[in-house]
Amino acid sequence: MSRFKLYQEEFHPSPLQHTWLEFKENHLAVGGLCCFMFFLFIILLCPIFAPFDPLMQKTDAILIPPAWEANGGIVNVFGTDALGRDLLSRVMYGCRMTFGISIILVLVAMFVGVTLGAVAGMSRGVRSSVMNHILDSMMAIPTLLIAIIIIAILGTGLINSMWAIALALIPQFIHQTRDFVRQERKKEYVMAAKLDGATPFQLVTRSILPNMGEILVVQGALALSISILDISALGFLNLGAQAPSPELGTMLSEGIEVAYIAPWSIALPGGAIFLMMLSINLVGDGLRSALRSRLIH
Amino acid sequence: MLKVILRFANLVVLTLLVLSFFSFLLAYMFPGEPLANLTGVVRGNEQQLEALGQLYHLDNNFLVQYWYYLAELFDGNWGLSFSSGLPLASEIARTLPASIELSTYALILSMFIGLPLGFIAGLRHRKTTDYALLSLSVLGYSIPVFWLAMLMILGFCLQLGWFPLSGRLSLLYEVPRISGFILLDIMWSDLENKSAILIDALRHLILPTLSIAAFTTTIILRITRRSVIETMNSDYILAALARGLTPWQILFRHGIKNALMPILPLIALQFTTLLTNAMIVEVIFSWPGIGNWLIQAIYQRDYPAIRVGMLAVSTLVVLFTMSIDLLIRLVDPKKSKVERVAI
Amino acid sequence: MIKSPVLYSLHKRGKQAFCVLFTLGLFGCDVLLTSTNQTTGIIYCSEGSPTNFNPQLDTSGTTVDASSHQIYDRLLDFDPQNGNVIPSLATSWTISDDGLKYTFQLRKNVEFHQTNYFVPSRALNADDVIFSFDRWRLKDHPFHMVAGGTYPYADSLGLDKLIASINRINGYRIEIVLHHSQSSFLANLATDFAVILSKEYADQLEIKQLKSKIDSQPIGTGPFKFVNFRQDSFIRYQKHDKYWGESIQTENLIFDITSSSSLRLAKLITGECDAMGLPAHSELEIIRQSKGLVLDEKPGLNVGFWAFNTSKPPFNKPEVRRALSLAIDKNALIEAIYFDSAIVAKNIVPPTSWAFQAEQKNLSYNPSAAKKLLQENGIEAGFTMNVWAMPVERAYNPNAIKMAELIQGYLQAVGVKVNIISYEWSTFREKLKQGDHDSVLIGWSADNGDPDNFYRPLLSCAAIKSGTNRAMWCSPEYDSLIDQALHFTQIEDRQYFYYKANALIAEQLPLIPIAHASKYQAYRENVKGFEINPYGGVQLAGVTKN
Repeated sequence: MSRFKLYQEEFHPSPLQHTWLEFKENHLAVGGLCCFMFFLFIILLCPIFAPFDPLMQKTDAILIPPAWEANGGIVNVFGTDALGRDLLSRVMYGCRMTFGISIILVLVAMFVGVTLGAVAGMSRGVRSSVMNHILDSMMAIPTLLIAIIIIAILGTGLINSMWAIALALIPQFIHQTRDFVRQERKKEYVMAAKLDGATPFQLVTRSILPNMGEILVVQGALALSISILDISALGFLNLGAQAPSPELGTMLSEGIEVAYIAPWSIALPGGAIFLMMLSINLVGDGLRSALRSRLIH
Repeated sequence: MLKVILRFANLVVLTLLVLSFFSFLLAYMFPGEPLANLTGVVRGNEQQLEALGQLYHLDNNFLVQYWYYLAELFDGNWGLSFSSGLPLASEIARTLPASIELSTYALILSMFIGLPLGFIAGLRHRKTTDYALLSLSVLGYSIPVFWLAMLMILGFCLQLGWFPLSGRLSLLYEVPRISGFILLDIMWSDLENKSAILIDALRHLILPTLSIAAFTTTIILRITRRSVIETMNSDYILAALARGLTPWQILFRHGIKNALMPILPLIALQFTTLLTNAMIVEVIFSWPGIGNWLIQAIYQRDYPAIRVGMLAVSTLVVLFTMSIDLLIRLVDPKKSKVERVAI
Repeated sequence: MIKSPVLYSLHKRGKQAFCVLFTLGLFGCDVLLTSTNQTTGIIYCSEGSPTNFNPQLDTSGTTVDASSHQIYDRLLDFDPQNGNVIPSLATSWTISDDGLKYTFQLRKNVEFHQTNYFVPSRALNADDVIFSFDRWRLKDHPFHMVAGGTYPYADSLGLDKLIASINRINGYRIEIVLHHSQSSFLANLATDFAVILSKEYADQLEIKQLKSKIDSQPIGTGPFKFVNFRQDSFIRYQKHDKYWGESIQTENLIFDITSSSSLRLAKLITGECDAMGLPAHSELEIIRQSKGLVLDEKPGLNVGFWAFNTSKPPFNKPEVRRALSLAIDKNALIEAIYFDSAIVAKNIVPPTSWAFQAEQKNLSYNPSAAKKLLQENGIEAGFTMNVWAMPVERAYNPNAIKMAELIQGYLQAVGVKVNIISYEWSTFREKLKQGDHDSVLIGWSADNGDPDNFYRPLLSCAAIKSGTNRAMWCSPEYDSLIDQALHFTQIEDRQYFYYKANALIAEQLPLIPIAHASKYQAYRENVKGFEINPYGGVQLAGVTKN
């Protein structure tokens, strides 16, 4: 026998649940999330699913069109590139490289940025004002430009471009965290904790930061799409990942040479970057508007 | 007011000093000997090296060297490029306007499209038009600019043959350089077939401009939309409505001004994004701008060129941002800095 | 959230406003979509920037293309049909019976270029010819050291040591005396490198102390005069009004420097170029099929090879070189890189040359033997070497970087790790000359039909210094063989020595010959008179466009 409900229970969703409910309403964003999951799935499992080694060259299978073209074959579903490498495997590994590295970079930049931002948010005086000014001018410069400058100093290469992008992403997180900490510091719950004798460190880690999760996710999504764009742009300009490695931007720039005879060799890697960016931006957008409408109500 | 300007001047000087010091340090940060990085001479004999060392005051301490570096910079003596052997000052004077020109046209174009669409979307908030425009704009800012440029080349140049795919002007035409901005230079020049040259220049401009404007257009659309929504929801609009003003009166008397004012500086700031995207697209369209030039310099490890090129670009970007900042402060002293509205 | 009628009625009228705006934007499209170039010149898409405008100083095809046949003339030329030597600036010549004395009669009223940096006061005479030859011939000549003192072509052929003296008989007649007779001498004077400069211009530069300008702001007698040059962008020429040959139809000649071959093809398709050099072999089929484009083909006198730096261990061991040769599959390379427009090279001379031996055998692809041989010579798995790949396309190797990537794959299979290195073309050759490389993918295009043009510049000891011996290989035995070959004039006599040289190369393998490729050029249908010059650089003098 099921329990009899005397009182209609009122449903009080937690903030997180509330955001999720709002998010769920946005079909595009949910679609984006599915796509995002799909890419996560690919980058985790591509060694199992990829039909070939992405670096394996087959000189007898050069520039085979993809399966849906008239003279394509089923062995290489996405066709092959100018060196006879299987494009499907290369695109899968390319997603792993571009997307995977971007995730790592964003996490690193987030950690460093939040730490510095918290310090900046808690400090006052000349130190804070100088830091703000430097930050503000840094924020105005697009990350890609900063990354190109750093690469010019460090020299080209994947590792250097990773350093460059991580460094270029940090200011945004500092900025966000600093503003958030400043704003929260004045609120009652922080004041209460302070009166209880919490140190500034405890204030930040126990009281303020736990409230920042959603903002960080939204900012993280933005940073992720920037980072993907930057990594592939640097690869495309031959400043980042270098030739044989299956990085999507690098593959695109290799594809230019055969663009006219093999349009799929630029359409597919470019399409993969585009889809990744699209899914992340949709999720980011959905989260942002969900958060916004939660805050309004 | 005066205080703000003084503070600004102070900040500009400081920033420029920091940037120039940084670019000065680059000679030491690049791999290899500083002297070789500066001069390109790797296997000179001792006398030669010593003479060169003296020329760059390498035997003095850091600060003295920096002082001489600044003096040279102000003299307009920016050194020579390794690869072409040309003076860098003239190379930058040639390439930088080309990039600025491209970015400016793209900014104008994206404002022409982005602002009205943003207004439409904002006014039709949560309606089909709004959703359609919003979804379109996600497409627009998800598409990598270099891929878009390549697709455009494939479609419009190679398949349809509508537009040329490289450079600023057909090489058959030679326009004397006055300002470095090609359209202005053509109009100022006294060549015979001006209109033909002008059309040729426009044909070269269209695709690069479109491909970098796509991203910025969607950003402007979203900024505008957000601002319009907020403005239209504000109390004074409701009050005006209550007082019986017609919708058009409300929009034109209060709406447009109040929605645009806070976002104009933000839109202006998009210029830096445009410049960066222009640097990438220049490589694809062989546009003779600073990005193309700088990236070639990085490939060829042309250290003097990288050093001065970086200084020029970062100075431009930082000065531009700071000027916008100053403008905002002058117009509205209450604001402490540019607010970054969510898009 | 506002859901007021205010906004609803607004959007109706807004719609009309934007319709107007959009139509305004589309206005004028017709004008923009059609090319309206009022053309007065030919645009040739070339593949790279020349290092200078004097082919005496550089054997690179890029430099030759940009200067030899555009700016300059030679005493003699090759007949493009049969390769025979024909008159150019020299109208006639005689050879003494012992083959040591050559007398040339010069053409009269040949005018030099008049530009904004030089106004000639006299026509070409014997002084100019003597000046041009003495510049590379005499170490103490005032202009010898101007560009570093290396004259790769003349040095690698030993022309400076061959000529005993050059005498002025009168204003229009000179005599060249040789130390010993050489069967290929006249052909050498007709190559792209034996150009004639202006002595009057050189004298002026000497007074102004601007000697180095002679190579960057050139003056010659050729069909086009130099206007300006921007590195990696363009070279502009104008027609030489007083050209002695057939009058030139095109007002301007422009080299659009485009390093990527697919971009050159794209420009040819959009009509931004009228003609292009060195189409990529992968794109030949497209050019053949495209309407409005024409593709010309001729068998090329060239060889693409993989040279080892034999001055560096372990590449000084012939066994190591042999092992590496066994590790690569030449046939597959040719299929992937040349798309069957080339034939596998057995030795350094192509089959069209009479020094070619059809019966010579190639090492076959055998990775396991290669691995064994490597181990026997102390090369363990994990050994790392670099392969330098030239950054530009050449007929003999249309995509060196791709070839290097394939070789990387092959060598990985035998446990050798390969780093691919490439620099911008002029830096690349500069560093190559210094011998910084382990191995390099490059090649050679001959400038005349004489096989000496392959054997001497590629592998003789003298060619190490002049920078065309990429293997840094010096064998006295080989040098004496190719020297002896030149003392004879009968082909059968010379063949004897060249066959021996072939055997020596096959045994020692200082370089692995890979392919002999055909020479291609493509142009738009409306371009007339553009023909492949089988003996060297591109010729644009007779080209017209309608």
